[in-house]
Amino acid sequence: MSTTTLSHDEAHHHDAPKGWKRWLFSTNHKDIGTLYLLFALTMLFLGGASAMLIRMELFMPGIQMLDPDLYNNLVTNHALIMIFGAVMPAAAGLANWMIPMMIGAPDMALPRMNNLSFWVLPAAATMLILSFVVPFFPGGGTQINTGWTLYPPLSVQVGMSMDFLIFAVHLLGISSVLASINIIVTLLNMRAPGMSLFKMPMFCWTWLVTAFLLILVVPVLAGGVTMLLFDRHFGTSFFDAAGGGDPVLFQHLFWFFGHPEVYILLLPSIGVLSHVIPAFARKPLFGYKSMVGAMLAVATIGMVVWAHHQYTIGMSLGAVTYFMIGTILISIPVGLMIFNFIATMWRGAMTFETPMLFAVGIVLMFTFGGLSGVMLAVVPADMQYHDSMFVVAHFHYVLMPGAVFGLFAGVFYWLPKWTGHMYDEKLGKLFFWINVISFNITFFPQHFLGLAGMPRRIVDYNMIFTEFNVVSSIGAMVFGLSHLLFLYIIIKTIRGGKKAEKRAWEGAKGLEWELDSPPAFHTWTVAPQIK
Amino acid sequence: MRIPEYQTPELRRKNVRLAWGLAGLALFFLITSFPFWSGIFRVVGTQAMQ
Amino acid sequence: MQNQNKQTNRSLLGKDRVLAAALLLATGSVSAEYGLNFPEPAANVAQEIFDIHMMTMGIATFLLCIVFAIVFYSLYFHRKSRGYEADQEFHNSWFGNWSWVIVPVMVLGVDLTIAGKADAVLKKVWDVPKEENIMDVKVTGHQWWWEFDYLDHDIKVESRYVPEEESGDLYLREVDNRLVLPTGVKIRFLHTSADVLHAFWVPELAVKKDAIPGYVTETWAELNREGVFRGQCAELCGTWHSRMPIVVESVSQEKFAAWVDDQKAVKIAAAAEASADKTWSMDELMAKGKPLYETKCGACHQATGMGLPPAFPALKGSALTIGPIADHLNIVLNGKEGTAMQPWNSLNDLEIAAIVTYERNAWDNNTGDVVQPADVKQAR
Repeated sequence: MSTTTLSHDEAHHHDAPKGWKRWLFSTNHKDIGTLYLLFALTMLFLGGASAMLIRMELFMPGIQMLDPDLYNNLVTNHALIMIFGAVMPAAAGLANWMIPMMIGAPDMALPRMNNLSFWVLPAAATMLILSFVVPFFPGGGTQINTGWTLYPPLSVQVGMSMDFLIFAVHLLGISSVLASINIIVTLLNMRAPGMSLFKMPMFCWTWLVTAFLLILVVPVLAGGVTMLLFDRHFGTSFFDAAGGGDPVLFQHLFWFFGHPEVYILLLPSIGVLSHVIPAFARKPLFGYKSMVGAMLAVATIGMVVWAHHQYTIGMSLGAVTYFMIGTILISIPVGLMIFNFIATMWRGAMTFETPMLFAVGIVLMFTFGGLSGVMLAVVPADMQYHDSMFVVAHFHYVLMPGAVFGLFAGVFYWLPKWTGHMYDEKLGKLFFWINVISFNITFFPQHFLGLAGMPRRIVDYNMIFTEFNVVSSIGAMVFGLSHLLFLYIIIKTIRGGKKAEKRAWEGAKGLEWELDSPPAFHTWTVAPQIK
Repeated sequence: MRIPEYQTPELRRKNVRLAWGLAGLALFFLITSFPFWSGIFRVVGTQAMQ
Repeated sequence: MQNQNKQTNRSLLGKDRVLAAALLLATGSVSAEYGLNFPEPAANVAQEIFDIHMMTMGIATFLLCIVFAIVFYSLYFHRKSRGYEADQEFHNSWFGNWSWVIVPVMVLGVDLTIAGKADAVLKKVWDVPKEENIMDVKVTGHQWWWEFDYLDHDIKVESRYVPEEESGDLYLREVDNRLVLPTGVKIRFLHTSADVLHAFWVPELAVKKDAIPGYVTETWAELNREGVFRGQCAELCGTWHSRMPIVVESVSQEKFAAWVDDQKAVKIAAAAEASADKTWSMDELMAKGKPLYETKCGACHQATGMGLPPAFPALKGSALTIGPIADHLNIVLNGKEGTAMQPWNSLNDLEIAAIVTYERNAWDNNTGDVVQPADVKQAR
């Protein structure tokens, strides 16, 4: 992206710094947004490659290509890279690009901290990759075979790569807390005059809630892994029953972070949908206020139901009943969100460009994932589903449509704004269909595997599980490779294409569409007046 | 790295104050919502007694 | 050119055929227990769990159908290409103003239906019935095998996976010693772990529970039919997580009583042999040590003694196995902290002596050391 944008910028906007200094010392929200998005795209391919290796190994029974520890290491890395490397930075990239333009602010409130919160990420990613690579060197210790949940005591057995991972988690946490603080300050202090909180675009609302969630839960994860580090090296026994500790404590700390994290991944994409669907249905978002309310409810309830990830640890009847009812109740605000999206489409004048295709796909598939979530919330039934492939299918149905497809929709929706070119609509639609069909081929059969008794995170399985694994793996190969098309479309759009107008989409509303495509290096230096 | 000139000193003060407030919130959650420090004190305590 | 095309076509076809054949083969060998849903429950609570699973799945499918129907109706009729004009005031109609109440109330209704039924089942599943004649089985997870202690009968069963050469189609679903349980008796499982987290899961018994080191969790079941039920460890426990099958053999109470007597007889014989005041020869210990080593140590250190470095060090030519006997005995008896090496002090003196002797003389280690049960006794 850099070279072409540079030459473009040189031609039009003389105030943009040149060369590598432009990126390393950038305090410009658009440049930092671009950096975030490129970083996320890189990580998407790293995480995708590890997922494809996992599925290749599971293609047939038997251990063909990955030894068990390497397999578990890949499982760990796939999750961490996708969550912390791909989805969160991509959402932060969208926030950086769009929030100042949407609220009529000249830039983020704390531009230099913005620079810091991005440039911590490559360091964190290096640590994360080192944690994967180090065991292959002599004296590097054992591989991380714990999964991303890092449960002790297993994570205490692991060699030095676990320490790399813990520091990577710290760095990632620092990055996202700094970014969150910046976003909240921007949203609360930098809105154009006349834009009250309830006139704010929905994407800004979702990020306001997301950022608060991040500030509340990421420090808890940081504390949890720090305690793990102390247990590993400094003789404490927070999680060691022999020393008076409790292995389950770590699980509580982890999921106190881990469950809100699901909403952290989900909400920015909900925000994108709240722009995409009205734009292509050509009518306003249905239920703006109920959307905001639903989001606040999801965030609030989401903070207090974490233990539904640990129904099998032997909690008391009272505790599991509470967590079960709380979890089931989340379906109310989430159901309201989905209802609002459907009602926005209802009696609209819809056209189906790529962002809208993804949006419709999300509404349908996320509903599916949400409903299997209600099934999982029921404690007695979860005694069967827990830690089986059913769970794997469920959370991929929630996170792929809920988070990743939402980001895809956002990228296609705003690419014309960012680059000044329309993307190739035919290729975009082709990408959507390949992507969505292969996604379903990959993950739908995994429900059956789970019900039949296949646990998750096993490297080798009995031959009764063969057929569905074969189908799933074939789907996964297509699914993984389809993202090369995504990359190609983006590169092609950056390099050229039909000139995008200010308002690239007929039904698009909002301040960002009143700026040029691509926007000037500094925008809204004079704040617009909102009526 | 240039100091952005579009922020008035008042806005800048307001921004920084809010940012520190939020950082404080993060710190508060780091320290109080789980037994990290109590554990540290326990370890230090038992070592001191020996 | 054409010829070439034909050839690629043919080879593609060939590949297809291989794949189809592989699929068919897989289908053919699929045993009857495999389906699209949970296997048929074999315990009373499992049936209730199965029912609630079917209910929530039914509700979910029904709701999904409604959502799909509405969305597809809208996708078909409310599109610009059909000339449909967007209704700009839809969100301001009475429906738009009150949907934020109507929808949550409807969802709440569904939620309460599910939660009410779930709560009733949960109460039955969760707390173990307090009865005098409940049978206790302590289930201990180890890396990577299960230990079943029949606390009422003073019997211990060690259960390990069987390698593919011997288990064939049941690979990863078959063990050397099964968990034998009687039907019609309430059984309480007490779960714990010797090292890391594990989880006990047999789908026909339905209840899954984590094994947590230092803590005991409990579940219960009452088997209502005979048969062999297979499950696996369900909580990631390290390298060979995939090799921790659980096989429950459900038998009538008479057969169970006979099995208990057999086990007791075997145990008494073994204890007598171990405590006999006898000096064992190298050949005897090696013969005893090989199978013991292969079942108990082989999963990590491998039958070849090469281990799987760096996690599991090789024993062949290692400083430990050809060094001082005392150090060797110490690590076998007490384990090594912070690693997967656990204390093996639950084995009797003879077994330890045989294993250590085997490790010191197999794979060209040839130290010539013969470790006697008496040495082990002293080292304890």
